[in-house]
Amino acid sequence: MSIPSAGAASAVAKPQPARPKGRRRDRARLFQEMGMLAPAVILMTVFLIAPFILSFWTAMTNQPLVPRPTPVRFVGLANFIRIFNDPLFWTALWNVTRFTLWIIPVQCGLAFLTALLLHQKIPFRNLFRGLFFLPAITSMVVVCVIWATLFQYPTGPFNQILGFLSFGTIQPIDWLGDPNWAMVSIVLLSAWQAYGFQMIIYLAGLQGISEELYDAARIDGANALQRFWHVTMPGLRPTHVFVLVITTIQAFKLYTQVAILTQGGPKNSTETVVHYMVRIGYEEQKLGYASAVSVILFLIVLVIALLQRFLLRRYDV
Amino acid sequence: MSDTALASRPLTPAAKVPALRRRRFNAYRAVQAACMLIIALVIVSPLFLLAVASLKDDRFQILADMGTFRAFWVSNPTLNNFAEVAHFSGELAFGRYLLNSLIILFCTVVGGLVVNSMAGFVLAWGSLRGRAVVLAIVIALYVIPQESIIMPLVIMVSRAGITDGFAVQIVPWIASPLYTFLFYQFFAQLPKDLFEAAEMDGASVFRVYRSIFLPLSLPALATVSILMGIEAWNQYLWPILVTQTDYARPISVAIATFFGQDSIFWDRAMAASVLMMLPILAFYLAFQRWFVSSFVGSAIKG
Repeated sequence: MSIPSAGAASAVAKPQPARPKGRRRDRARLFQEMGMLAPAVILMTVFLIAPFILSFWTAMTNQPLVPRPTPVRFVGLANFIRIFNDPLFWTALWNVTRFTLWIIPVQCGLAFLTALLLHQKIPFRNLFRGLFFLPAITSMVVVCVIWATLFQYPTGPFNQILGFLSFGTIQPIDWLGDPNWAMVSIVLLSAWQAYGFQMIIYLAGLQGISEELYDAARIDGANALQRFWHVTMPGLRPTHVFVLVITTIQAFKLYTQVAILTQGGPKNSTETVVHYMVRIGYEEQKLGYASAVSVILFLIVLVIALLQRFLLRRYDV
Repeated sequence: MSDTALASRPLTPAAKVPALRRRRFNAYRAVQAACMLIIALVIVSPLFLLAVASLKDDRFQILADMGTFRAFWVSNPTLNNFAEVAHFSGELAFGRYLLNSLIILFCTVVGGLVVNSMAGFVLAWGSLRGRAVVLAIVIALYVIPQESIIMPLVIMVSRAGITDGFAVQIVPWIASPLYTFLFYQFFAQLPKDLFEAAEMDGASVFRVYRSIFLPLSLPALATVSILMGIEAWNQYLWPILVTQTDYARPISVAIATFFGQDSIFWDRAMAASVLMMLPILAFYLAFQRWFVSSFVGSAIKG
């Protein structure tokens, strides 16, 4: 409150932080506030907190998808033990790890490169930014339809380009059908679809670096490369951490592309944790078992998120 | 001071000869522009191929053309493919699926705006005891991925008997920790005087929210609409788990199902994909600036 009106104001409406006792209007106000908060609280409780808590419980039962006459049994950690003894689970975990290790350089690299280009003063910058962002608003299902044609064996565009560039020495690759290449294909199309988001984050990061720092570096005689290395990169450190974590979490939740294009194949080379979970829960109808997988998935995401907190606190602030 | 510093460094040609600097700058710019063009071509060409292919009539020709430069060109464009898939009933009811998706999107976004903004407002300006606790819980909930609650959620909705409809695809995703937090963040940074002045005039909390804060929160409303809209539009895992018939089947699931058949009708798949792309593209072209800023907005919290 500013000084002139202070006397009059405090007589009518007392400042909020102090909470004087017993006022009728306060009661009505509290009810109204509760009413405004209630829809969100109720919906989040029912559709987020409840299933979350339920997942820990179901994970320890033999809950089926369709109710059976026999009662649901408590099986303790049996589901987790079964998961850890299932080679397919480890394959899935290894596959998403592999996917993560691939997608980080490809997707973040592409995002960083395009952000650096867009950050320059260049004609039609907004047009380019608009074009670069187009894949990010394209639905993954649509992306799969397009890229399935690009990956066609043996005469799809990618194979033609490879053959052309290598003067026919490289044999056509069965992108989605070869266990060695299927995950690479998934990486390529995923990176194309999702890099726009990271690009925007990088652009915001670049805009956050003060122009004075560049001027100072220029006066000290730093060339473009040195300026990039000693001004841009340190300035982007929190952005890098954020982008890395977001990409990693996204990567561990890999599902749609795989479900549509490869169904985890060939030879389980693209089986992922979420696809494994859905397969068990929905196709094999073992929801208890699938819930155990979802608990593990949550723990993985939690660890990555905590790591981000830790790293950001170290580098930022 | 800085002049002497520059003069003492003859190794920097840019500082010594302005003309040379300008010429080098232009060459640099040309390389830059070329890079931009090439990258833009590579990035956009898959979408362009999709658009072109959807206008071709012969489904065998589409695949044959894909590996050649004819993929970029259609000699006799036709809208037949769209006419074939855009029915409202029958096997190729993509018109209906598109409408379903739009209904789901609309209801989710409108519901989400109301519910999350009210909650965000109370968390920012309310006087309820325990606001801070609720806020902390909301932030903590953000870490739970949709994928890890989806299995128990399937049990819940199937026990409640509300599978296969619109409600089951809309209601669970209306309230969201992220969007509540975004609204909270936005409202909290508005000046305190706004709230106090309105209170002094005897306006109720809801009135203050409805007629003072909400009209000021266009940026937050736009951000949340866009993020929620994209999310709702792209939902795939949840609808395949809860929709069995084509009554409320969204277009994402319909395309994936169609695509999963043994012999793919590429012309129809392409046309259906373009149909799915069009609404969001129209929004994007109309509100491009908002799209970009909303993605930045979603990333603010660490």
